[in-house]
Amino acid sequence: MAEISRVLVANRGEIALRIIRACHEERLEAVAVYSQADRLSPHVRAAELAVPIGPAPAVDSYLNMGRLIEAARSTGCQAIHPGYGFLSERAPFADAVARAGLVFIGPPAAAIVAMGDKTEARRRMQAAGVPIVPGTTQAVSDAKRARYEATRLGFPVLLKAVAGGGGKGMRLVHEPAELEAAFQAAQGEALRAFGAGDVYVEKYLQRPRHVEIQVLADTHGRVVALGERECSIQRRHQKLIEEAPSVALSPALRRRMSEAATAAAGSVGYVGAGTIEFLLGPGGEFHFLEMNTRLQVEHPVTELVYGVDIVREQLRIAAGKPMRVHAGTLNPRGHAIECRITSEDPFNDFLPATGVLRYLRVPSGPGVRWDGGVEQGNEVTLFYDPLIAKLIVWGDTREIAIQRMRRALRELVIVGLPTSQAFHLRVMEEPTFQRGELDITYLERVGPALLAPEPRAEVVRPLAVVAALLAEEQRAAAVPPPLSDRPTVRPSGWVDAAVREGLRE
Amino acid sequence: MKYFVRIADLPQILEVEVEGGRVSVAGAPYEAHLAAVPGTPLYHLLLAGESWTVAAQPGEGIGRWTLGVVGERIEVEAVDERTRHVQELTGRRPVRAASGTIQAPMPGLVVRVAVTEGQRVEAGAELVVVEAMKMENQLRAPRAGVVAKVHVAVGEAVEKGAPLVTVESPELSG
Repeated sequence: MAEISRVLVANRGEIALRIIRACHEERLEAVAVYSQADRLSPHVRAAELAVPIGPAPAVDSYLNMGRLIEAARSTGCQAIHPGYGFLSERAPFADAVARAGLVFIGPPAAAIVAMGDKTEARRRMQAAGVPIVPGTTQAVSDAKRARYEATRLGFPVLLKAVAGGGGKGMRLVHEPAELEAAFQAAQGEALRAFGAGDVYVEKYLQRPRHVEIQVLADTHGRVVALGERECSIQRRHQKLIEEAPSVALSPALRRRMSEAATAAAGSVGYVGAGTIEFLLGPGGEFHFLEMNTRLQVEHPVTELVYGVDIVREQLRIAAGKPMRVHAGTLNPRGHAIECRITSEDPFNDFLPATGVLRYLRVPSGPGVRWDGGVEQGNEVTLFYDPLIAKLIVWGDTREIAIQRMRRALRELVIVGLPTSQAFHLRVMEEPTFQRGELDITYLERVGPALLAPEPRAEVVRPLAVVAALLAEEQRAAAVPPPLSDRPTVRPSGWVDAAVREGLRE
Repeated sequence: MKYFVRIADLPQILEVEVEGGRVSVAGAPYEAHLAAVPGTPLYHLLLAGESWTVAAQPGEGIGRWTLGVVGERIEVEAVDERTRHVQELTGRRPVRAASGTIQAPMPGLVVRVAVTEGQRVEAGAELVVVEAMKMENQLRAPRAGVVAKVHVAVGEAVEKGAPLVTVESPELSG
């Protein structure tokens, strides 16, 4: 396999920076690409070389396969890392990269194809002996057929897009009367989102946990599982908080799920880092949901409890080297939690906000990791996803990790736009979260009370005083005092005003 | 000078009197010292020995700020006595989102319009869905009323602040 010394990072934001850091630790050079909106983004400044790839909209830049491959060629790269999102799970891109004589840092295109078609993935998992969510393993042709299958499975059911992902083209159906309309809606949405309207039927499981297994596979025939991540705290299928390990897994269940995950990866000839998502029922029964054939946003929690740098391993695996994960390290140590800090306003139905990040104070201290992609002065635009950074903590126990996350969230200061910070803080202090009583309906059940916009009692007085003193400062600035009173140096308008008033007394 | 301070949506108004290096909050006196942290939007408050770091971002209008403290982000408004008196005489105080027109909170694409003009809507009813940052965002009626005007159509790109739907409700005045 070709020697790799320079890698094109075909992504932006925090994950581009994360990959560039891994390149540098592996003594590889990194080439960044950027759209017009990202000229000054941290990932551009962190790389050895940077190549403009087009206007701000992703279709014209980060999704432009031709430009990306040309950028890799013109800068002498041997490999392309796609990150997550954008082109990371597009088999034609993996193919095009290979045809250009470059290494695609990810699985073979065939594995992406097999897992990207959700019904084919379900058939393959069934064949490999991995339990799947009950339902059809073929697309259903029409609403009538869907109704037959739904009745067989028992309501409620989910209609899901065969080419699906991210909750698009998905409909929950409670009773037969809703089926016809839901079928049309799911088909239409799937067609618009993926260019293919095929839909299949799955039984809707009541309040499962979302538990996923991280796998790594190298070209020397090794496939290992790096345990689980619990990602049950979601909003409309977007994960908000992830942790490892899950309180719901005994060592025996972890072993069983890990075996299922490695069997799943093996069945599609998987290479590199991938994630098998499962729904886990209260009795320990688990069902294959889907496989993400790429690096996952929440990979850091696994890194912290397994002591493995997943991105560095990806780079080594791509270069044909054996992975450095030893069987003895395959047990989790301590507990890690990740909060996705996004530019969404939790008190306004998580509405995304845009604007300039006027000020950023990043938390630090023991056990705190900040994977950010935006710095002070950068603008958060509507062109890309609203992730500002991932705040990750590690602690000896889950309780210690929660305490640490709470501390770190209180240190974090973001000025300029609303973020999800306060939501995370409230979750850390919420009793059922603290007890680990989680399932994918957590936010629906707990969210409304959690997000009642009541400020904490202890901050009311200091905030009132700050507001009054700022108003006093504003007033003093608007109405200049008599000339004789005017100081020549003004460290703070209000401090001055206080001094002046003090002098008058 | 005396200020009347509103914190977020709390019902009570706090009276804060500023006098030299002392403040009194609802009549109780405290020593207070506020210092701007140079080069940042941060202020450090010492309030009777308690240490608070507060991020301040000016809001829309005199006396309004968005303050950040211990991970929370809270809107405050401080008005002096005279301003408050004027507000009382005119029988109104500034209210957030007093308008019956729902505006686009961010730039995006209108992907669904759920109401038609003349339609009666309940508080919380979906009006328009705007797609931005890969997400569909439902904009809901803040109160019950009648849809007076739909300003947009499906497929239309809207800027931040663009009017989407006007809902008229009887209890809006006052």
